[in-house]
Amino acid sequence: MTKLSKYIIGSTCTIAGLMVSTSMAAVDPATAAGNLAEIGSISVQAKANLSEAANGGNVDDIAEAGKRSDAVDAAMAQAQEAFSEMERALANGDEDTAKSAADDLMASLEKAADALNGVIPEEVVNAVKEWKESKKNTGGGAGRPYDPPNMYDVPWNSRLMRNFYQNHFGNNWSSGVTPGDRDATPE
Amino acid sequence: MIKHNVTIGLVAVALVGSVTFCSTYAQEASAESASTISSQAQAAIANAEVEVEKARVAIEAGKQIIAQIPSDSPLMPDVAQVVEAASENWKIAIDSLKGAKESASKIGSATNESIANDYALLAKVNAGVALSGAKVVQIALTYIDAIAAEKTEALDIIRTAMQDALASSSQVQFNYERVKTLIAQKYSK
Repeated sequence: MTKLSKYIIGSTCTIAGLMVSTSMAAVDPATAAGNLAEIGSISVQAKANLSEAANGGNVDDIAEAGKRSDAVDAAMAQAQEAFSEMERALANGDEDTAKSAADDLMASLEKAADALNGVIPEEVVNAVKEWKESKKNTGGGAGRPYDPPNMYDVPWNSRLMRNFYQNHFGNNWSSGVTPGDRDATPE
Repeated sequence: MIKHNVTIGLVAVALVGSVTFCSTYAQEASAESASTISSQAQAAIANAEVEVEKARVAIEAGKQIIAQIPSDSPLMPDVAQVVEAASENWKIAIDSLKGAKESASKIGSATNESIANDYALLAKVNAGVALSGAKVVQIALTYIDAIAAEKTEALDIIRTAMQDALASSSQVQFNYERVKTLIAQKYSK
């Protein structure tokens, strides 16, 4: 086989390979965002299972539902990171990294679905446990320092802030100094 | 020279063949992908319908449960907040389920695979929004049930679960909007 023939065959293979890769491996951000939405939906289902277990009152069920919910959240955090990485790679025109990040996101979706069904790798359980134990001053429970969170996560609606302001205004009032009591200016 | 011409001819045939193969393969893969996502969308809608129905039943039961809570209960402000969240999410669930069904109904009449795929994706994600909304309603009613039954030890867990569920649900809605925007951008180019 001559040099020219080898060159032409090589070029043909390269072109064919490129066509296959571009037709099969293009990253679709809309599909990736859809996967991210699906993980969010799995997270809501995990929380619903946890609240149902809590209402049931069985300690083992609550522990299991809590473990699954934590593992789903861990998968969701990984998926969000993967999505951000994919967006950055697409913005920089790095198709390979974007594809790799989209694959990671898909893997996180599978992990979340598995976790909802109770299939949780040991390292995830340990990582969540370590993270919770590393939190100090856990007034609101393990991993949740300070005040128990309110429904809408509006800080000024929390019991802590309400108490703070009520005390603050109460102290002002009991001091006897009201805005009308200010000294008149020399003028 | 003749040998070269034959080689070039063979390579040209191979190139045309590979292009045809790639194109056919890509079309088949695309059709298969569209069919998969379409069936996923139908499954997601069916799943969301079941959860919306469960939420509706929970709301019916909740009306009687709320009546059992004394009006001077210190947890009444919590009940009011939870009912408000349930009401908002119920509306979201109903609207999204309707939207998901509308998108799914357009899959069959789409002019090409890509558009069909996008309608299926929209339907699937919108069904996820409906399911999340319905689940939030169910958690809200579980919380009210726990208050009525004075299960104080469960309240902290459910309250936290409710807050997390609201956050995740808003993520689902946000990503649905993102999917819509990305699809719209694809066709506005």
